[in-house]
Amino acid sequence: MIALVRAELLKLSTTRLWWVMLLSTLLLIGVNLAFFIGFAGNAQGGLPALDTPEWAQLAWSAGASGRIFVMILGVVMITSEYRYQTITGTFLTTPRRGRVITAKLVAGLIVGLLFALAVLLFTALVVIPTVLFAGGEVSLTEARVPAIALGTVASLALYTILGIAVGALVRNQIAGIVGAVAWAYVIESIFLAIPALQVVGKWFPGGAAQSLMSIDVTPGARSDLLPAWGGAAVLVGYAVVFAIIANATTVRRDIT
Amino acid sequence: MTAIEIRNLSKSFGAVRAVDGVSFTVKAGTVTGYLGPNGAGKTTTLRSLLGLVTPDSGEALVNGKRYRDMATPLNEVGAVLEATNFHPGRTAHNHLRLLCVAAGLPVARAEEALGQVGLAEAAGKRVGGFSLGMRQRLALASALLGEPKVYILDEPANGLDPAGIQWLRGFLRHLAHDRGAAVLVSSHVLSEVEQTVDDIVIIAAGRLVRQGTLAELTTNGEKTVRVRTTGDGELAPALEKAGATVERLDGGALRVHGLEPEEIGRIVLDQRVVLTEMIAERSDLQKVFLELTEER
Repeated sequence: MIALVRAELLKLSTTRLWWVMLLSTLLLIGVNLAFFIGFAGNAQGGLPALDTPEWAQLAWSAGASGRIFVMILGVVMITSEYRYQTITGTFLTTPRRGRVITAKLVAGLIVGLLFALAVLLFTALVVIPTVLFAGGEVSLTEARVPAIALGTVASLALYTILGIAVGALVRNQIAGIVGAVAWAYVIESIFLAIPALQVVGKWFPGGAAQSLMSIDVTPGARSDLLPAWGGAAVLVGYAVVFAIIANATTVRRDIT
Repeated sequence: MTAIEIRNLSKSFGAVRAVDGVSFTVKAGTVTGYLGPNGAGKTTTLRSLLGLVTPDSGEALVNGKRYRDMATPLNEVGAVLEATNFHPGRTAHNHLRLLCVAAGLPVARAEEALGQVGLAEAAGKRVGGFSLGMRQRLALASALLGEPKVYILDEPANGLDPAGIQWLRGFLRHLAHDRGAAVLVSSHVLSEVEQTVDDIVIIAAGRLVRQGTLAELTTNGEKTVRVRTTGDGELAPALEKAGATVERLDGGALRVHGLEPEEIGRIVLDQRVVLTEMIAERSDLQKVFLELTEER
């Protein structure tokens, strides 16, 4: 199994996709941070000032928005094998297909962790000088920074494997990516934005990821979320259930 | 020794019966040509053998095992399927390297296999820039990684230039006759494999049509000789008098049934006509194959 995980990591490192996705992730987070910096202390924007612990919380949690990209990365890790038919060689080498999917999930977890570390490093490089410039105090142990960092790591890692499981289920690259983006930005946004629907929405992957971060910038609205460990369990649950369904259905199909 | 055994294999895709009760075996040390027109069921048979397609009934075994039950399949079977199985952004060497890692083979095998197929210089190039012929060679290299004793190749000559086809023929014969491997190679072009194979299996519309050694299939049938001369038609009656059946072909040539080339030569000499063409036709295999192909 270790060999298979290594092979999966090699598949990623020998093509250009991973750094395109990493750049996209950092770009998105950079835009978010620029917005947080630009509108800090702005009364109309409702954002706290740069030297407050509230702003630090907000800024540190920007990294979690990268989860859509790691999810796409996860989807592509499996659907590109069908797109370029490298799945044939993969299954010829490892005819027990369930092992391939398991190896991909483990590799995805590792990649998600590495992405999260890169994201946190990038955030630190932006946030720490900014706060110091604004005359605030930098503390990596207060303002819930450790919890937020842990939440970022967990949500990026789990979203990568969620992407893999979704990819295994749909096999088609375009359908997988469009489905993931539409789900995250349309359906979940609706369920998480409308209070009456939050009862359902908190059980969605997006709701679970939010509970991992559990930022209390706007208190009242967050009380409906699951506890952080519950959010993690829900995300793992989605990935495992999708992977099991995929394993019993689409992964078994004939490769023609 | 039987290396590949297919027993009563059937597979349908929807309403189409792609393979219908096919059985044959491939012995170690031989090259077997698996022939049939496009859509005859060749690819489905080979993919069933490789665990990529699940047959509806029957068995497809390599070394007495189902492919899916093999612990180290790359050490037992080398497969070359269609030439699109590569990520265009990955280099040839990396493609082989990750297969080695997944299969637990030493990574040095990647370089060795590239050298064996004549791709050593393209090792660091992305596969996206490869010609079809180079992709076929790379596919063959991946089949060689585990140094297996059984090779299954689906239309490996597609996209190869004449020199490449020549090279492939020699390589497959070398694997079978010098290294004792069993080679099963499919093709829809008879002439492509005729000079390579020891045994032939012909399939059409999912059913097995013929199987036997190349020699059996070519000598069983009636031999014919095509003759062209400068004379103006005195030859045909003379041949008929000698017991032959003569077909008059377009362009003045004759197809002679029932006489050996030597006998025909004597009659030509007697008639004092100038012989411009004389070809012994191995009618059976060509005919069987053409008839099958033309049905489609």
